[in-house]
Amino acid sequence: MRAWICLAATLFCAGAAQAASTEADFKTALAAAEAAEQDAGALKNQWIPTEQALAAAKKAAAAGDFDAAVAQAKEAEALAKASIAQAKEEQSAWRAGVIR
Amino acid sequence: MRGERGTAHGTALFVAAVVAVVLFAGAHASAQTPALPGQVLAFDRGKGNCLTCHDIKGGEAPGNLGPPLADIKTRFPDRKELRGIVFDETKRNPQTVMPPFGRNLILTDGEIEAIVDFLYTR
Amino acid sequence: MRISRAIASVVVTMMIAALVVAGARPAAAADTIDPDADFKAFRAYFTKLFPNVPLNDFVNGPYSMDAELRKQWEAIDDFPPYDFAIDRGKQMFATAFKNGKTYGDCFPEKGIGIRQNYPYFDDKTGEVITLELELNRCREANGEEPYSYVKDEMASLTAYMAFTSRGKPFDIKIPNDPRALAAYQKGAEYFYARRGQLNFSCASCHVQNPGNHIRTEVLAPALGIVAAMPIYRSEWSGMGTMSRRLVTCNSQVRGVPLKPQDELYRDVEYYLSYMSNGLPVSGPGTRP
Repeated sequence: MRAWICLAATLFCAGAAQAASTEADFKTALAAAEAAEQDAGALKNQWIPTEQALAAAKKAAAAGDFDAAVAQAKEAEALAKASIAQAKEEQSAWRAGVIR
Repeated sequence: MRGERGTAHGTALFVAAVVAVVLFAGAHASAQTPALPGQVLAFDRGKGNCLTCHDIKGGEAPGNLGPPLADIKTRFPDRKELRGIVFDETKRNPQTVMPPFGRNLILTDGEIEAIVDFLYTR
Repeated sequence: MRISRAIASVVVTMMIAALVVAGARPAAAADTIDPDADFKAFRAYFTKLFPNVPLNDFVNGPYSMDAELRKQWEAIDDFPPYDFAIDRGKQMFATAFKNGKTYGDCFPEKGIGIRQNYPYFDDKTGEVITLELELNRCREANGEEPYSYVKDEMASLTAYMAFTSRGKPFDIKIPNDPRALAAYQKGAEYFYARRGQLNFSCASCHVQNPGNHIRTEVLAPALGIVAAMPIYRSEWSGMGTMSRRLVTCNSQVRGVPLKPQDELYRDVEYYLSYMSNGLPVSGPGTRP
């Protein structure tokens, strides 16, 4: 029994060590997200969930939970990029809906 | 460490307890069916928010921008098609007013699957 | 000296002309901005969609779409909830700024009976001027702090000014100035472009689904949609201006709103107001 417990603990710790993000990881992820959100801002097409994810990322980092912080920052970056894609597509797609 | 007889006795009690819980839950469930996770997501204003545009059995005060969601099994024998509509209806209809729940990261893949499961019960 | 300068200016003009010709391409349909053609198509679309709605009734938004809703509206019209705003606005108009000037000094006709001319294109500054913007600029020019654009004092001022124009037909002008046409076009683009995480354009609701309802809320047609501003909205339990409505529409589709009176907001108000030309000012209004 004890041997199984030791093995399980080792595997768990090893797995956990691989997933743990550092503050440096967070700063990188946040910078990427904020840069994308700034681009979305230049296109006047930011989304509310992007801002919420950025805020959640910063809050998690402040609490020392860098796994959650990195995850939120990556989500924010994905949302910001989706909003940029929307703005770029709409630069031409808007005409399709015009009343003629 | 307990003796063999003690362990067997403990296990039997445990199994009996689990069976009792399952039977009780089962009896309770048949009296009041709990909502599928997909229904909770579908009706949640912050998630699927489907009732804003669709009439769905079990929901109240629906909108009518989209068609009523009924006879889903008959209308969508191909699950991929229904999932695709929830994920991004603009692919089929560029002028649709249906939000692209997958493409715009409104719902996760898991949430979409749960909602599709729920729709197949309507 | 004069001759060489003349030759220089001729040469420069020819160079510019050459550059323009070099850069010119055959005008695609998308490049010609024709507000008059847009206006006719817009008008025809809504009158065809709703043949039983009298043209002037479109300014009543959802009430022109739904008989039941209309009954509720008529029931409260004896004591309109915006009356207090009109009274406040009238009082503000009668009260001088610290420097002795009044709102009337900033406007033609002392600000009375002119709401139907807004927004207009200012050829001196090359921008679209809305009523709300003009009011705050009036305050600032007279040493006063600007008001918030979305409610309270701004709603009272615009309620009073709208009230003095009740029934007057909208008379929005788009001068044959490329900057005015560009602003109009930017307004059209804003109106039809999808935005927000929910991927709606203004047109999604107000062109594709007027008369339909999201949950229990009946959607207004885009034709005449600005005519009732500012509005007392039950959902807000208070007054709201054009700025407020644009901001809340953005956030409803999960888009981060622009700053009130952002250039794009003024452009879309310009576009929608032009589309309402001929329809009567109905503000201030009430909405569910």
